[in-house]
Amino acid sequence: MEGINTVDLMRLKHGEVNLGTSIMAVRFEGGVVIGADTRTTTGSYIANRVTDKLTHIHDRIYCCRSGSAADTQAVADAVHQHAQLYAAIYGERPPVATVAALFEKLCYDNKDQLSAGIIVAGWDKEKGGSVYNIPLGGGTFQQPWAIGGSGSTYVYGYCDATYQEGWGEAETLQFVKNTLALAMARDGSSGGCIRMCVITEDKVERHFVPGNELPRFWEGKEVIGGLAQTTKPVAAA
Amino acid sequence: MSVMELNGGSVVAMVGKDCVAIASDLRLGNQAVGIAANFDKVFPVNDKLYYALPGLATDVYTLREHLRFRVNMYRMKEEREITPKTFTHLVSSTLYEKRFGPFFIEPVIAGLPPKTELEPNPKPFISCMDTIGCITTPKDFAVAGTAGDKLYGIAEGLWEPDLEPEDLFETISQTLLNAVDRDALSGWGAVVHIITQDKVITRTLRARMD
Amino acid sequence: MAAKGPVEGSSIGFDFSNYARNEFLGQRLNGLPKATSTGTTIVGLKFGGGDSGEEEGICLGADTRATGGPIVADKNCEKIHYLAPHMRCCGAGTAADTEFVTNLISSNLELHALSQGRPARIVTAMTMLKQYLFRYQGHVGAYLVLGGVDSTGAHLFTVHAHGSTDKLPYVTMGSGSLAAMAVFESAFKQNMKRQEAIDLVSRAIRSGVFNDLGSGSNVDVAVITKAGTEMLRNYEMPNERGVKSRNYKFRRGTTAWTKESIRSLVVSEDVRITSGAGKEQPGVEVRPVAIGAGPGGEEGMEVDS
Repeated sequence: MEGINTVDLMRLKHGEVNLGTSIMAVRFEGGVVIGADTRTTTGSYIANRVTDKLTHIHDRIYCCRSGSAADTQAVADAVHQHAQLYAAIYGERPPVATVAALFEKLCYDNKDQLSAGIIVAGWDKEKGGSVYNIPLGGGTFQQPWAIGGSGSTYVYGYCDATYQEGWGEAETLQFVKNTLALAMARDGSSGGCIRMCVITEDKVERHFVPGNELPRFWEGKEVIGGLAQTTKPVAAA
Repeated sequence: MSVMELNGGSVVAMVGKDCVAIASDLRLGNQAVGIAANFDKVFPVNDKLYYALPGLATDVYTLREHLRFRVNMYRMKEEREITPKTFTHLVSSTLYEKRFGPFFIEPVIAGLPPKTELEPNPKPFISCMDTIGCITTPKDFAVAGTAGDKLYGIAEGLWEPDLEPEDLFETISQTLLNAVDRDALSGWGAVVHIITQDKVITRTLRARMD
Repeated sequence: MAAKGPVEGSSIGFDFSNYARNEFLGQRLNGLPKATSTGTTIVGLKFGGGDSGEEEGICLGADTRATGGPIVADKNCEKIHYLAPHMRCCGAGTAADTEFVTNLISSNLELHALSQGRPARIVTAMTMLKQYLFRYQGHVGAYLVLGGVDSTGAHLFTVHAHGSTDKLPYVTMGSGSLAAMAVFESAFKQNMKRQEAIDLVSRAIRSGVFNDLGSGSNVDVAVITKAGTEMLRNYEMPNERGVKSRNYKFRRGTTAWTKESIRSLVVSEDVRITSGAGKEQPGVEVRPVAIGAGPGGEEGMEVDS
């Protein structure tokens, strides 16, 4: 009787493209902010240094992908198709919970063949902003904030200590940016730039932080809590 | 010892002036033990098209029968002879069909394409493949089998363009003979086919039998 | 389509009938043979557009070495595969897989274009490739650089064997990808001119050819713009073979042989007119007619032997 604990879910097939990643999603009043680093690796080689791990699923729903690039792209493509079908059939946008359930089903049913850790986040009229974490073997967990990927292990404590209910968009954006920068600094398989996305009822707004403009506050040059600084939005998606 | 070295054997094909040559050794072995000295690996498809199947002996027979079936089907459907290029693609897709359980054969094909209105002076054709059907169509020579590495080296040195049939015979024969003499798993006699526009000369070479 | 008889089995997809045998053989003897792999440098970049004053397009490049283990299997192979008139695909990895995958997708793209009544898009090819490769979980070892121009503009993708894709302005793949990427990272600019792009691509390939052992021989380039596709086969040949100053031609009669059989392919017939309109007439000469070689003569082929 070898327990499920001995099953190595993190195994990647030889030569597989890995999203050794730092991803994150945080809910705030009126929407969500999602973010990710931009590094894709094959072994020690960076196959893509400006990857977009924030993947469009529907008008107001995105997901953050971690694990195998091939697996997560395939799953996201499948769910994207389901979401479009949902909208066509019911004449309205699918709720985030429904999309999360679709992800969870695919990830759980094919858990032996997939290595995909996904965070689903978005806005719907039932719940407003919401974040669902779907870790490696399946399971859906609705959370006020979620982090994932190999870099996330370094920043659980920071998130626990820093997160507060009731933040607005700008503060949440800064929290995501700071957290990812911390994770990317410690985790070798995360890095590059930061991509973020604000999803609310009336906009999907993308933000991009180049690698030479990442926060370095923990180095003593900035002060923690300087949340006034906001990022410049780039062209809305 | 890999599967490709179980039975031994080597082949080579060369392009000449309006002619092609294809040659193989005649050994069939079981690892180091010689079993037969009359195991011809070169087979005709039609008058001006021959192919050789070096590799695992059981697959030599199986693949030959597969190809005979498919060439006969082609001949009946198309009511014409298959061209060297088409035959190469036929062999290639036959091998790739078994991509995940391949035949242990690396075929070599040599032939003279038929004269057509579009191509009144077709170039001599040779090609070779790996075990899963990746085609290479060299302009000079093609080699395969357990002495493949040696054949590459010798052929690279001996081959030259526009050899007449009789000169091509000497070049291909010396290439094969000297390569298999340094290969423990090939030898025990050799056979050479020279394909020209109006005849096919088949010669059994005098070779070392050790 | 009853194309195949009962001995041939199913007619679509792969045939695994030898799989168990080969596994057994692989265990008894050690090692199964290595397939020809394209230890390769392949690259692609986007050029034009913006304020360059030129139409945007894609420039692809590849070396021409094919390897089987440590042996150079082909010194001048073609790694830029045709997909559609406005689309090309460079292949690295298992040579047979890149060849057959691109052929299959090319065929499906043609059918797609015919059924939709418009040229297929680059993303369509990319999606077909990734879905096919994902299905085989990396066992079909094709690593591709896909590029082309369609109604939505110029697009460049990489496709990995496991089915993941990336969309980037400049990409490299294969064993020489690191050498080539070093060139791109130092010299790539947005909105380059056509000739600048070709020069940079061939410099990247050359860097693979000379610094990566798996890559070698010549540089192939393909340029795709809205105006059309230009294949620059052997755009650079920095490794031409020297001319031999003497030859190793053997004197005829060097090789001793024990047995000879000659099969004559010329079937000659004497035509003798015995009656009717074809009877000997003044001015008509009767002579033997040589009939071209072909099957069905007395010397018919013997494949059954």
